[in-house]
Amino acid sequence: MQADIEEMKSKYLNLEFDRKDFVLDPERVVTVARMSGEILPQFCDTGHPDFQASPAFIASLSAGRHLPIDFPKLGGIPMDGGKAVTCLRPVRTGEPLTGRTHLHDIYDKSGRSGRMIFLVSRMEIFDSRGEQVAISDSRMVVRERSS
Amino acid sequence: MTVSTIADVEFGAELEPFEPDTSLNATSTFADAVGWGLGGRFRNHEAAKKEGLPGALVPGIMAMGFLTSMIHRWSPAARVEYVDTVFRAPMIADEPLTISAVVTDVDEESGMVQLDLTVKNAANETRVFGTANVRLPTA
Repeated sequence: MQADIEEMKSKYLNLEFDRKDFVLDPERVVTVARMSGEILPQFCDTGHPDFQASPAFIASLSAGRHLPIDFPKLGGIPMDGGKAVTCLRPVRTGEPLTGRTHLHDIYDKSGRSGRMIFLVSRMEIFDSRGEQVAISDSRMVVRERSS
Repeated sequence: MTVSTIADVEFGAELEPFEPDTSLNATSTFADAVGWGLGGRFRNHEAAKKEGLPGALVPGIMAMGFLTSMIHRWSPAARVEYVDTVFRAPMIADEPLTISAVVTDVDEESGMVQLDLTVKNAANETRVFGTANVRLPTA
């Protein structure tokens, strides 16, 4: 039986299922920027007054769990379908950050090889003052196993 | 040409690419820095093949890094406000990648530029594609 997308959406969307604290290490932030070919000092120089994490580093922040604890098993092996980052304010190193994660979207696409289910997990990232600094979306793709 | 303000941006312009470093040293260093360094997936071709992969991989988010770095090289004044990358197929470490970006929308009033992004392998196959919204100074 195929999973009911609308039922999953009504049950799981927009409910926070994970909260995780982070403190970004400046050296790791610099390494990621340099390995990415970045040249701007605000991403590569810890002494720059506007030093901040690059979008790719923000995308690397992962929640404690990928899906709600009671989310139904869809059968196939989940694949990393992509990442999106919205930069609202500079994301600083060395200060406490909190990521709050919920399922933002569930949709499907069907093709010759069957149905693929896309799960978009959204982490909203806040600084220690409670101001939202970024949004990181992770797109998981599951090829549904036919029963 | 260095792009300093929105007035310097032309619709349809292609950004100057650079050659991304996809060496095992780069992919493993990147993976270590983001905490994904365990196992051979990003550092060793043989170990990755034992996991059923075609070889050691370039982390998908590293492609996002290549693309945003290209945007910053194009315009050091640009602020990437949104970037979305779709991981269509694996990128293999030690194999060359071609990155590209083209201007698909320009809003001179707000300073916003939209870019279409692509990462292709040596066989000209798209591995990653996406979009970015970038803000530039209006004056």
